[in-house]
Amino acid sequence: MNSALDLPLLRFALVYILLLAVLWLMKKARIHKTALLITASMRMTVQLILAGLLLTWIFKHPHPLLTLGYVCAMVLFAIHRVLSQHRGLNKRFQWVVAASLAGSGLAVLLFFVCLVVGVNITEAQYTIPLGGMIIGNAMTGLSLALNTFEQNLAANTNRLASLLNWGAHPQDIVRPMANAALETALLPTINSMLGTGIVWLPGMLTGQILAGTLPTTAILYQIAIMIAICAVVCLAVFCSLYFGCHTLYDKHYRLILANPPKE
Amino acid sequence: MNTLFSLRTVRQHGLCYPDIDIAEGCTSFITGASGCGKSSLFCLLNGTAQAESGTIVYRSRPIEDYEPLALRREVLLVGQQVFLFDGSIQDNFATFYEYRHKPCPSAATMLAMLALCQLDMPLHTACAHLSGGERQRVYVALFLSLQTPVLLLDEPSAALDAHTAHAMLGALHAHCQARGASLLVISHDVSLAQRYAHTHIALPTPHKEQNHE
Repeated sequence: MNSALDLPLLRFALVYILLLAVLWLMKKARIHKTALLITASMRMTVQLILAGLLLTWIFKHPHPLLTLGYVCAMVLFAIHRVLSQHRGLNKRFQWVVAASLAGSGLAVLLFFVCLVVGVNITEAQYTIPLGGMIIGNAMTGLSLALNTFEQNLAANTNRLASLLNWGAHPQDIVRPMANAALETALLPTINSMLGTGIVWLPGMLTGQILAGTLPTTAILYQIAIMIAICAVVCLAVFCSLYFGCHTLYDKHYRLILANPPKE
Repeated sequence: MNTLFSLRTVRQHGLCYPDIDIAEGCTSFITGASGCGKSSLFCLLNGTAQAESGTIVYRSRPIEDYEPLALRREVLLVGQQVFLFDGSIQDNFATFYEYRHKPCPSAATMLAMLALCQLDMPLHTACAHLSGGERQRVYVALFLSLQTPVLLLDEPSAALDAHTAHAMLGALHAHCQARGASLLVISHDVSLAQRYAHTHIALPTPHKEQNHE
């Protein structure tokens, strides 16, 4: 098998023609997200170029601290992304989310790299890409779950007030909404498991095949990473919401749902 | 008669409440203009809100001394905003009781509570098909079935016609009197208050509003 052909920059640039086609269609259909698409594609280009340069440098100068530092930076960025999208959460809830994301992301990554793949966690070639997939998916899942959870709380003020007056424990009142959010967060992962291999070949599998890995080896990695992603989403969301629920009521069992308005 | 609640110099959300005493085992009506803090008063009494200053005494102990959930389960507030789950009337009883980790009452009890609220309907009726007034009565019947020593009703007859409102309040009044329970009702309907109230508390119109007018 051949490893992936080098992509000359000029031919690589051809792919941006597709982007122009999308932009043209969006303009025609009067979709007002053209600015966002341009920003997003430019950011993606710049971020990936930087990541490519950085990874090349790290692979040339391997050092355990560099690998760990890279992973830590990924975790911190993921936490920042999630929290910046959910400013309505109270301070304690934000800490719970940060700890859950970091804890479950690192735990699953450690398990995957050390036990499943069987290499040292400081091995940049494995830890960094796998860490990106695991932590990135945890971030997306958590963000989705928190969106659903916050929307549910906001849309159900009547239900919350009624059950509170009914004398139900605040934890019991909020728990079904937390469970619904966990379900919502897991659905995309589960759905992608259902479709995988029939219609589409997932990114990591495609990448490995392009790089010349035997498909039989590549699918093992793919199956493993999909289960790891499912696990990390489940763990991060469950911990965030399960422990986060406790921050939603005070010692008088009154619900405190939003940040107090700033004066 | 023992005093159930007494309020002294209570302030909340910029409103000053008058000093109020409510006797145990009575039916008391609370009336007043919109925005005078009637619903907020009920939230203070069941402990879902806290007064900014002043003292509220319940059965001769300050309200903060009580375990919050226990107090809320004893001083039961039936709010103005009706909430029912999807499903039948019976399902609603079952779900609500599940939230209290209590066994669902028998069909006979449920029907008796509905009858007190002037609602004659089979238990398998889907709540989605009920009218606003019917939903409100199912809601009150649910809370009534807990048989608490104190029941706070916030505008229980808002969605009812005058005849049904009188029949329901009359039945609830008689039921609570027979059990020795205290009933507190917020209502705009003065005729209801005149008919059933042992005590009628008229909250003053807040100064804030007077300035606006």
